[in-house]
Amino acid sequence: MKYIEYINELIVKNTEATEQLVLFGENIAAGSCISGLTKNLKVGKGGLIINTPNSENTHAGLGLGMMLNGVSSVLFMKQQDFLLLGIDQLVNTYNFIRINKPRASFTIVFVIVDSGYQGLQSSINNFGDFCSMARIPGFAITNQADAKEIINSHLVSPGFRIIGVSQRLFGQPLIEVETLKANNDKTLFQYKSGANATIACFNLSFPNGLELHNKLKEKGIDSSLFSVNAVTPIDWSDIIKDVEKTKNLVVIDDSKSENFSSDNFLVHAYQKCEMKNTIVIKRDMSGDWLSPSSDLLQINSDEIVNILSRQK
Amino acid sequence: MDNKPDINVAKEILRLRLSQLFVNEKYKAGQFKIPIHLALGHEAIAVAVDFTMRENDLLACTHRNIHYNLARAKALKPILDEYLLKKEGLAGARLGSMNLANPEKNLIYTSSILGNNLPVATGLALGQKAKDIKGLVYVTTGDGAIEEGSFYESLLFMKSNSLAVLVIIENNDWSMHTRIHERRSAIDFSKLAASLGLGYEKLDGNDTYHYIDCIRKIRERALKDATATVLEVNINTLGGWNVKNPDGTERYMHLHAGQASKTIITDWPELEHSTNDPVFVLQKYFTEDTLKALSSEIFKNIKEEIGEI
Repeated sequence: MKYIEYINELIVKNTEATEQLVLFGENIAAGSCISGLTKNLKVGKGGLIINTPNSENTHAGLGLGMMLNGVSSVLFMKQQDFLLLGIDQLVNTYNFIRINKPRASFTIVFVIVDSGYQGLQSSINNFGDFCSMARIPGFAITNQADAKEIINSHLVSPGFRIIGVSQRLFGQPLIEVETLKANNDKTLFQYKSGANATIACFNLSFPNGLELHNKLKEKGIDSSLFSVNAVTPIDWSDIIKDVEKTKNLVVIDDSKSENFSSDNFLVHAYQKCEMKNTIVIKRDMSGDWLSPSSDLLQINSDEIVNILSRQK
Repeated sequence: MDNKPDINVAKEILRLRLSQLFVNEKYKAGQFKIPIHLALGHEAIAVAVDFTMRENDLLACTHRNIHYNLARAKALKPILDEYLLKKEGLAGARLGSMNLANPEKNLIYTSSILGNNLPVATGLALGQKAKDIKGLVYVTTGDGAIEEGSFYESLLFMKSNSLAVLVIIENNDWSMHTRIHERRSAIDFSKLAASLGLGYEKLDGNDTYHYIDCIRKIRERALKDATATVLEVNINTLGGWNVKNPDGTERYMHLHAGQASKTIITDWPELEHSTNDPVFVLQKYFTEDTLKALSSEIFKNIKEEIGEI
């Protein structure tokens, strides 16, 4: 099963089971249905499915307006960039609404265009930037386990949040992993536990982290593997405890932002842990980041293996 | 209109005007930390909206919402306390002026961002549809806010999804300190509405009784046909003053926000002896003596309400 097929299956299962739910967005029930994200959408009793005009500012306001009227909805959006037109609503209207804890749910599910060669429009494809603007709860999905936890817990739940899915992973086989632990908010997941190194993945870099974990294992280095799926304030203590144990930290963050949530974590790690090695892998934004490119995060796994082998 | 005019409409016009003048006096005395947008001259449409709203109707306003808040709350004190950021305020000092709403009275939302409330009101109306509730959503906007793209987007969505909405454009010709002709080309809202298949009506002259009749008819039609109507209301925001330009000529300073520094309070609150002033227009239905007696009583009641007697 592919990544997007699994996410679609979870979405349909949840929306079908919910009464009086409004699903809306551009082409959500037409053509490719956002490349399969919204295929075969179903709603429960009293629900609506609306193919909308191309009006993203209004879409963001619509969902928040329905919340004020006690009606839950999900807005599906083909590209994260499109939501730039709705920022006013995400900040100002959401601030108005959250003063009183809303009973209804509004979720925006958008596609983070990280597939490369998109040029200018992909320059702001950083999930965290949207969420941090107004401290919006946000959840990025990378694999089977986090998809299940995030969609089942948050797709329809009182309050407002954004769920981001990775276009790069759409056609890829679903990564089937099991979690060892997840925090209550479903923002931090632990997948592996090892004695020699701690790998902390941010944004959508979990596949990179899993690949590195497997390569290290081949070389006899056991690593713990965490994925941080959100940018809202997180209690870092689970990862910190692991770093205190392994004393070797590898941080992978594929964000394009200048505001990295991994920086927040690193400050805590530097303050609380005595580390032998701290390896931070981020995008190199010193080149021509405006022109179309592969947009892939470059990781030199061999070098990391060499560094950590010396410390074993 | 019914043959005999409802005296309560006149009372409300006078109460809204006097209440604002009390707020203005406190503004002049430097008692507010927050910005407030007075709506002197806007009372007719606010009272008409209030008199036509029914249990299932909802209202969303702009940052200039004092007249609607006064009309819905039927009191000044909770609003004044909110402006003074007291815990006893209408929203517990959490919303101030530009975002002040009163959900218990169906004033669901107000926004400080131009055009922002139109999509939210559209969402309120879609919510009514999802819940299968027959209720009209009233949304107010202005001749400046309709320049935002959200105005067009919202109208399009309302029409496309058969939503019952009354879009009230308070057209006072000003956006802060520029008149329409100083900032953009004219817009024929009747043609704009028609191009989208929406209804259009225009109100002028500050006759609150006529406004109520008109809105009642629009409301019935909107709910029956599940449709949106654009209602353009010509308004003269009162309380401005003239300032001297560097070349010695004079320029009118429109009252956007803050105090109407040249406006004083008396128990007869007519500010302009013309149809620009809804208080003046009441004299079409009642004698000046009757209105002055009413006004004097309301003036005293407000003073008692806010503890100034």
